[in-house]
Amino acid sequence: MAHGQRKEGSILMYPEKPPFPLKEYNAHYDHIFEMMEELEAKGEILIYRITEEHQPMYVYTRTGRIKVIPTNKLWHHKSCGQCGNIPGYPASLFWFMNKFGLDYLNEPHQTSCTAWNYHGSGTSNPVALAAVWLRNMHQAWKTGYYPLIHCGTSFGSYKETREQLIMNKELRDAVKPILKKLGRLTEDGRIVIPQEIVHYSEWVHAMRYKIAELYEKEGKPKGIDVSNVRVAIHNACHTYKMIADDYPYDPEVFNGQRPAASTAVMKALGAQVVDYSTWYDCCGFGFRHILTEREFTRSFAIQRKLKVIYEEVKADVIITHDTGCTTTFEKNQWIGKAHGMYYPVAVMSDVMFAALACGAHPFKVVQLYWNCSAYEPLLEKMGITNWRELKKEWEDAVKYISELEKAGKYDELMEFFKTYDLYEPYSRTSTGKPKASATAAMPLFKS
Amino acid sequence: MDGHSYGYNIPISEKTKSVPWEEKVRVIEEVKSDFRFKEYIFGCLNCGVCTASCPSNRFFDYSPREIVQRFLEDDVEVLYDMMHEYIWACSQCFTCWIRCPFVNNPGGLVAIMREVAVRNAFEATKDLLKPYGRVLLKVMTTGNQLSADMLQPDFFPDWGPKMADNMENLRAKRMAIPFDVGKSVKTAWEVSLETAIEMYTIWRETGIFEMLEKLDPNLYNVIMDIVEENEERYQELYEEE
Repeated sequence: MAHGQRKEGSILMYPEKPPFPLKEYNAHYDHIFEMMEELEAKGEILIYRITEEHQPMYVYTRTGRIKVIPTNKLWHHKSCGQCGNIPGYPASLFWFMNKFGLDYLNEPHQTSCTAWNYHGSGTSNPVALAAVWLRNMHQAWKTGYYPLIHCGTSFGSYKETREQLIMNKELRDAVKPILKKLGRLTEDGRIVIPQEIVHYSEWVHAMRYKIAELYEKEGKPKGIDVSNVRVAIHNACHTYKMIADDYPYDPEVFNGQRPAASTAVMKALGAQVVDYSTWYDCCGFGFRHILTEREFTRSFAIQRKLKVIYEEVKADVIITHDTGCTTTFEKNQWIGKAHGMYYPVAVMSDVMFAALACGAHPFKVVQLYWNCSAYEPLLEKMGITNWRELKKEWEDAVKYISELEKAGKYDELMEFFKTYDLYEPYSRTSTGKPKASATAAMPLFKS
Repeated sequence: MDGHSYGYNIPISEKTKSVPWEEKVRVIEEVKSDFRFKEYIFGCLNCGVCTASCPSNRFFDYSPREIVQRFLEDDVEVLYDMMHEYIWACSQCFTCWIRCPFVNNPGGLVAIMREVAVRNAFEATKDLLKPYGRVLLKVMTTGNQLSADMLQPDFFPDWGPKMADNMENLRAKRMAIPFDVGKSVKTAWEVSLETAIEMYTIWRETGIFEMLEKLDPNLYNVIMDIVEENEERYQELYEEE
């Protein structure tokens, strides 16, 4: 099927005309959607379809295919790196979902994708990777919530695993008995495969105008202004280089010739997106390298990215959309001082920056305390000039919680949490009382 | 002659030379028989776009073009030798894959080679992966690859003084996140016991435990102790219900 052709009810969709100039030579990837429909017709798989209750939005991929992005009723496939080391990353995403009043499920019946381990150490295999992926997808399907993949490597690995699974009967035959043993097939013995594999940055991309509305409505009245912020985008390799034909491109972003997610939301917010010569390079994370080949990681990050971004375009912030890149850039700045190569620039993901722009608390929500890069000048430039007070407020809360816990005063701790919420000084009403936050109804220790 | 007159000119190690030819052929055939192999390699014009854009090529003696070329030439000796150290320089970024005009995937070929090297318990892989033990322990026993408590400041002195501050009162900091996320310190999120048990089944059924036993017997024993303990606990809970 090609542009201008439509098959009623098919999950493979194209617009009437290509939305931007296309590279057709490797567009064969899209064929897997037709193959999925064929396998479903044969009773081998069940396609977990995106329906109206998921409030679908539509974006284009590199091949000009229409990719369906569910925006509601989402099953959070969390990232181990984000939850473990960048807590403000998922917290910012949850903050937006609460702000928009969206339905989602965050449950303990999810594993890591295990792809970081595989790409770093080789201690797995395609059957294990496929079994892990399909187990998680089956769990999401069982709940009726649609999987939203937080991590770029999980997203890339799952896209690749899906392609392998659809193209190779031997892989399906190998994984099926394992899924059966786990009780992870449908009642009639089919493998559950989602219609689209969706990364959170695609959700942010699809929701960019709603995010921009929130910025106008809540961010700007608090004195926040991102129009003079210089933003350098770093696209994550595993989102757009792995299975390259399944990631958003858009006429508004370099006429569809570069990945659109992250850049488009920055443009929607009105920030200044600045281009730099090594935009295409990876960050230097390298999976195994950030742990065991650290000289490589820091040398690459500093020389090929941080130095270039600092000197060529004088960016205020590097915007990322994956776990490893964020960590690599913000953790490998300080060491540069040892060689006279210190290029301070703030580092955070698209959703964290967007949350700050929309008025989220820089420490309680965006969790910037964790960040080893120099984020303070960025906050000043964005108009969040009271960040010192906000930081102290966060530190006082942490200290209080710590003291109560150490003293074993659990009743007092629970009392504290009853009133503890997103205290947002920016959103105080004229009466001086803080606005009720959308998170107030969220229990703290649900899982 | 060691190596090649052009391109790859790293001398073949004495260790590789001492391995019987049939064994080297067997290992390379194991790589080539992987179902992904035929999807990762097509033609190659030696244009070098992959190597020119390869991050590892800038700092290591590593070239994705060489990986493709050696396979196309069926250069068993060099390929076998590469599996000990050369291929471990790859960053797995897949820039080579997106840029190749033939849609070759050298990074994918490296992934297969690494997997085969580990499965065959190459001595080099044991040394290379030793510092990776903490990640393996975490992922095999909990189903999570990372957790907040793994970022020990002593382990990352090059990340600067802020690291020590970050780890102070870690538990309280996590409790203070006003969302149901990032609360757990020892795992990235609280993984249910039944989910971990499902992971163990996957490891067993796909030969991952076996692979680990050959790679690092001590680590394997530690992992199996935890796995068996959790399985017993699960069985008890199951029976109680």
